[in-house]
Amino acid sequence: MIELRDITALQGDFRLSVKELILKKGDFVAVLGNNGSGKSTFLSVVAGLKKFSGEYILDGSKFSELPPMGRHRIISLLPQQTSLNMPFDVHYVVLTGRYPHTDGRGYGERDFQVTEEVLRKFDVWHLRERQFNELSGGEKQRVLLARVINRDSPVILLDEPLGGIDLRHQHDTLDLLKGLSTERVILVVIHDISLAVREFDRFLFFVQGDLAHDLVKHQLDEERLSRVFDVKVSFIRHGKGVFVYTEGGRK
Amino acid sequence: MSCDNGSARAVVILAVLLTAVSILAVFKGAVRINFFAMSEVEREILFYVRIPRVLLAGLVGSALAFSGVLFQYVMKNPLADSFTTGVSASSAMGAVIAIMLGLGVVTPLFALAGGITGLVAVYRIASVRGRVQPITMLLAGIVISTFSSATISFMKFLSDDAVSSIIFWLMGGFQSASIRKDAVLGIVILLSILILRRDYLSLDIICFDDTTAVSSGVSVEKLRRKAFFVAALLTAFSVGYAGIIGFVGLIIPHILRLLRFVRASELVPLSLLGGAFFMIMNDLIARTILAEGQELPVGIITSSIGGLFFLYLLIKRKKELYYFD
Repeated sequence: MIELRDITALQGDFRLSVKELILKKGDFVAVLGNNGSGKSTFLSVVAGLKKFSGEYILDGSKFSELPPMGRHRIISLLPQQTSLNMPFDVHYVVLTGRYPHTDGRGYGERDFQVTEEVLRKFDVWHLRERQFNELSGGEKQRVLLARVINRDSPVILLDEPLGGIDLRHQHDTLDLLKGLSTERVILVVIHDISLAVREFDRFLFFVQGDLAHDLVKHQLDEERLSRVFDVKVSFIRHGKGVFVYTEGGRK
Repeated sequence: MSCDNGSARAVVILAVLLTAVSILAVFKGAVRINFFAMSEVEREILFYVRIPRVLLAGLVGSALAFSGVLFQYVMKNPLADSFTTGVSASSAMGAVIAIMLGLGVVTPLFALAGGITGLVAVYRIASVRGRVQPITMLLAGIVISTFSSATISFMKFLSDDAVSSIIFWLMGGFQSASIRKDAVLGIVILLSILILRRDYLSLDIICFDDTTAVSSGVSVEKLRRKAFFVAALLTAFSVGYAGIIGFVGLIIPHILRLLRFVRASELVPLSLLGGAFFMIMNDLIARTILAEGQELPVGIITSSIGGLFFLYLLIKRKKELYYFD
């Protein structure tokens, strides 16, 4: 689905570099690293929002040769922050996620149908007539997630999607995403290592702009995680899963 | 969708109002016309003065309201319109230069040149690495506007015989209407609608932040440039034929938004109708309120009616007007 080779992207003094990365359908990937390690820049490059050098193959074609609308039918991105300066209602906000599927003139029968399903899936159907800007932070985030999923794209990039969402809806959301990931590539930037270790099966670690590690679950160890995050990380096995305990200060 | 029914109903209501006020505006005037037994003079007045004037007022209202909607989308700013971006004033400056040079016929072209020059200047000043900064843009618009008005005043100071027509540019009015001007402005509006016919959905999407808009598949900068040009075109021809008339581009879209018409596919058609209705009504008041055929400049009416109504809305429904982060 996605192949990256020798990718570099510059942002001021910051330099992102990815030697090689291949992502296939079914990959449910946690993107981890400290602040400023390049996670968001990496998502921007994959989403085509940032200039880069190197080879990027998306769905069998060179990325640069795909038309803009075509790219965004394949990839949808939830940025870390979203603002809206018109009093649109929730239904319309989610509907606009379907834009790359339109001819620019109007949304069709299918767009409305899919939007209704997604609104229900993310438990925001009851909010559909409310103004987006009047919602609480967590509700907004769920609406924006619904908007991104509404694209129905084979690649989904989410930058800290669970921010402000209550525990119950965090679980529902992750279950939903996991279900969707069997047919897609889903990349999620996440800071909660515990949650990441429990829910994801592949992990990308960024350290100072470099994609430092690309690991699957059984390759994770305390030593490596401690180095990446610069805190002391220990695993505590308990019943169904692994808990991650962290301690600050010196390792 | 219930929403579409709402806008369909609004279109019908506005169309009825527009028709009613147009008929009234054709009937009423300084000279009473006996429609059942018209004299030659009355016929002349009706077909060469009054009807072209009502049409021009309506078309200018539509063009200004439309351009206001576009400026507000592009600049992500509720205070943007042809007036606050400096496009009106720089168009008027172009028009006045044409008059000073004795080139009356090509006035709209000079207005267009002036308007686009002003707009490009504002756009350049406000662009940082290819992206437009809304706040800087508004400030630049104010500077350009002030400069253009100063230039017009200076030219007025230099020349005596052109004074009256220069005042016309600054105050605005429909005295110089003709069927030819109506036709040209009508074509400009149709062309604008045609150019943007596939952009209603994307105009809504640029109300999100740029990252969200671009990753939704909208070519944000391209769309901004296009909408800018169309807005400048509409403004330049309006100013070229009717001088500077403020407020229409601000007030009509705002009233519509307060009535919950917030999508471009609703705002644009309703602004075209609403702008026409509002301007014909204002012009009717301007030319009938004073006794013995005297006229008020229409800008005085638009600013006072519009301003008061706007103030009322601001005070009553402040919270709902707009959202900023």
